[in-house]
Amino acid sequence: MNRSLKRKLSYGTNASLVTVFVVALVVLLFGVSERHRFRWDFSAEGSNRLQRDTLNKIRLIQLAGEPVRITGFTAQSGKQDSYYKNRALRDLLEEMDLASGSISCRFIDFDRERLTAEALGVTQYATVVVQRGEGRVDLRDRDLFRRRGRGENRTLEFLGEAAINQALSRLMSDQKRVIYSLVGHGEFKIDSTDPDGLAEVVALLEQEHYEVKELDLVRDRAEGSPPAVPDDASALLLARPRTMLSLPESDALVEYVSRGGAVMVLVDVGLPPPRLLARLGISVPDGTVMDKRMVYPYNDRPVLLYGRHSITRDLTDMDLVTVLSHVAPLKWADPAPDGIMYEGLLKTSRRGWIEMGGATENGLPVFDSRYDTRGPVTVALAIRALPGKGLVMANSPAARLVIMGDADWSTNAVINEGPGNKTFAVNTFRWLVGDEERLSVVGRPTSVRKLALTEEDTHMIRWVALGLGPVCVLMIGAAVWASRRGR
Amino acid sequence: MTAVWAIFKKELRIYFVSPLAYVFLSVFLFLSGLFFYLGLTVNGEASLRVMLGNLAITMLFVLPMLTMRHFAEEQKAGTFELLMTSPVPLGSLILGKWAASIVLCLLMFLGTLIFPAVLAYYGDPDWGVMATSYLGLILCSFAFCAAGLFASSLTTDQVAAGLAGIIILLPFWLIGSATSFTTNETLRQILESAALLTHLRGFTRGVIDSADLAYFASFSFIFLFLTYRTLESRRWR
Repeated sequence: MNRSLKRKLSYGTNASLVTVFVVALVVLLFGVSERHRFRWDFSAEGSNRLQRDTLNKIRLIQLAGEPVRITGFTAQSGKQDSYYKNRALRDLLEEMDLASGSISCRFIDFDRERLTAEALGVTQYATVVVQRGEGRVDLRDRDLFRRRGRGENRTLEFLGEAAINQALSRLMSDQKRVIYSLVGHGEFKIDSTDPDGLAEVVALLEQEHYEVKELDLVRDRAEGSPPAVPDDASALLLARPRTMLSLPESDALVEYVSRGGAVMVLVDVGLPPPRLLARLGISVPDGTVMDKRMVYPYNDRPVLLYGRHSITRDLTDMDLVTVLSHVAPLKWADPAPDGIMYEGLLKTSRRGWIEMGGATENGLPVFDSRYDTRGPVTVALAIRALPGKGLVMANSPAARLVIMGDADWSTNAVINEGPGNKTFAVNTFRWLVGDEERLSVVGRPTSVRKLALTEEDTHMIRWVALGLGPVCVLMIGAAVWASRRGR
Repeated sequence: MTAVWAIFKKELRIYFVSPLAYVFLSVFLFLSGLFFYLGLTVNGEASLRVMLGNLAITMLFVLPMLTMRHFAEEQKAGTFELLMTSPVPLGSLILGKWAASIVLCLLMFLGTLIFPAVLAYYGDPDWGVMATSYLGLILCSFAFCAAGLFASSLTTDQVAAGLAGIIILLPFWLIGSATSFTTNETLRQILESAALLTHLRGFTRGVIDSADLAYFASFSFIFLFLTYRTLESRRWR
C-alpha cells in the first residue's frame, strides 16, 4: 500500500467515523426531543387543545393501566366535505395520540388499507373504532359530524372529541347508570327539543354513558304495591314539578333518599316545592332573586358566584358563568337537621336581594329595604345526608342532593346561554352518582371557518392570485435586465 | 461573520442579476396563486392550509434547482480551488450560500402574503394558524436548502446536483405514506418520526411543537454538516 493511499484511508476512516458520530448524536438528541415535547397552540379558539374533560378521562385511563386504541378511517373521497372530515379527524387523533402513552391512535385511508378495515370489521367510511381490552365502541359519520344551517349559512360541526369522550366513558364504566326523570306533575320533558325541553342536556348525559328515563311513580309501580323509585336508579331528577306530588309519591322519594339515593330538584318561582325539601330543612321563600349585576340584556338573570364545591371547582378556575333565569331563593335551616350538611353551589353577590315588590327605577326593580331581603342569596346548594343520622338508614351510603332555585337554566332555550351551564349540569350528575373523578369542563364542538364567495368575488380572486404576483415579479426582472443591458 | 456576509452578498447578487431568481419567483408565485385559488374555490375555507401544504411539495422540487449551482458551478468553473485556498473558512462559505438561498425563499414567501390579505378581506381567517403555517414553511425551506447544498457539493454537474437534491428529499416526503404498508408499530413510529409531512402538519394547524422545531433544526444541521465534510474531503482526496 503506497503512502498516498494510506493517507487517504486514514483521513477517510477518520472523517467517516466523525460524520457517523455527529449524525448519530443529532438523531439521538432529536429522539429525546420527541419524547419530551412542549406544544404551544396559536389557533384562535385553541381548537388544537384537547378539552379538560378529555384530558381528565385520558388521565383516568392512564391510572387504570389498560391502554386504549383508536383507529379512524377516512371519509369517502370526492364526497361533500370529505376534505374537512379527514382533516378534523386526523388532527384530533394526532392530538390524542400525543396526549398520553396509554392511548394510541391511527388514521387510516379506508381505500388503501382495506385489510385493516376488514380485520376490524369496518365497512363504512369515516368510522372510528375505540377499543379497550375486550370492549369496543364504533363511531359513525353521524356521531362525528353535524351539519347546521342552510345555504350560505351552512356549517359543518365536528363532534369527534365529544363522541370519543363518550366512547371512553362507555369503555371505562362497566354498566350504564340510569337517571330517572320524574313525570306526571307537568315536569320538563326529557325528549323534547322545544325551548322548554331537556333534549340537549339529556344528550350530554348520554354522552357520559348515563341513560335518562322517564319515571311515573304512580303509573310505573307494581300492582298493589306503593310507589317506589326503581332499584337501578343511580339518580332521580325532579325537573320543576308544577303541582304537588301526592303523599305516597313524596314518601317514595323520602324512602329513596333513606337508601342513600341521589336527587336533583329544580324548583321555580311561585311553584310548590316538593315535600322532601322540608325534610331536608330547605324552604323556598317568596320572591325573585335579583342582583345589581345582571346578565345583559336580561333583567331576571343575576350574575351568580360559585361556592366552593367539587362540582364548581373547574368552572371557577376557568371563569365560566352559569346563567339561571327568573330564580327562586333557597333558605336552609339553621341549625341543620341531624346528619344534613349543606354546601352552597351558586349565590348572588352582596349586592343581590330577594325582590318582593316596592320601588322601581326606570321600570326595573331595585332594592327596597321595606320589602326586600338583602343578599347574598343562595340559589343552588348541594346536600349530603349522612347515614344513621335522621333521614338516611345506617347501612346505606350517604344520600346526595342538589337543589336549585331555577329550572329554566337546564332547558334547550337557556342551556347554551351560559358558558358554564352544560358543565354545571353534567358535573352535578357526575357528583350525584359518585363519579367525582370525572368532574371536569364539558367542551363545545369545533366548526369550520367558511367563506361565502359570490361568482364576482371568485373572478376577482382568480386574477389577483394567478396574475398579480407573477406579473409584478416578471416586470421587476425585465427592468433589471433592461438596466443591465443599458450599461 | 464578515466572511459569511461577503459570501451571502455575492450569492444574492448573482441570484438577482441573472434572470434565474425572477423566473423562479414568478413560477413559484403562480403556483402559489393556483393552489390558493383551488383551495379556496374547492373548499371555501378561510385558510391557507391547502396552499401551504402544496407549496411544501413544490419547494421540494424547486429548491434543489435553486441551490444546485452553488458548489457544482464553482467546481466546474475551477473557482472552488481558489475559494478553498482563500482565507474564507469553509463553514462561512457554506453558511453564506445557505443564507442567500434562504433569503430568496423568504422573498418568495413575501410574495404570497397577498393571499392572507385576500382572506382577511373576504372572511375572518385565523391569524395564529396563518403565522405558524408560514413558520413551518420557512423551517421547511431551511431544511430543503441545506439538502440542496449537500447535493450540490457532491457533483460538478448542476443538473445532476438538482436531481440529487430531489432524490435526497423525496424519500423524506414519501416515508410518511409508507407507514400504511407496515403493521410493525415500532417501525411505523420511526417512519412517522422521520417523515417531513408529520412535522409540517402541526404548523399548518397552528401548533408549534418543540419536536417539530428540533426535527427541522436537526435536518438542516445534518445536511450542512454533511456538506462541510464532503467539501473538506476534497482537501485530502
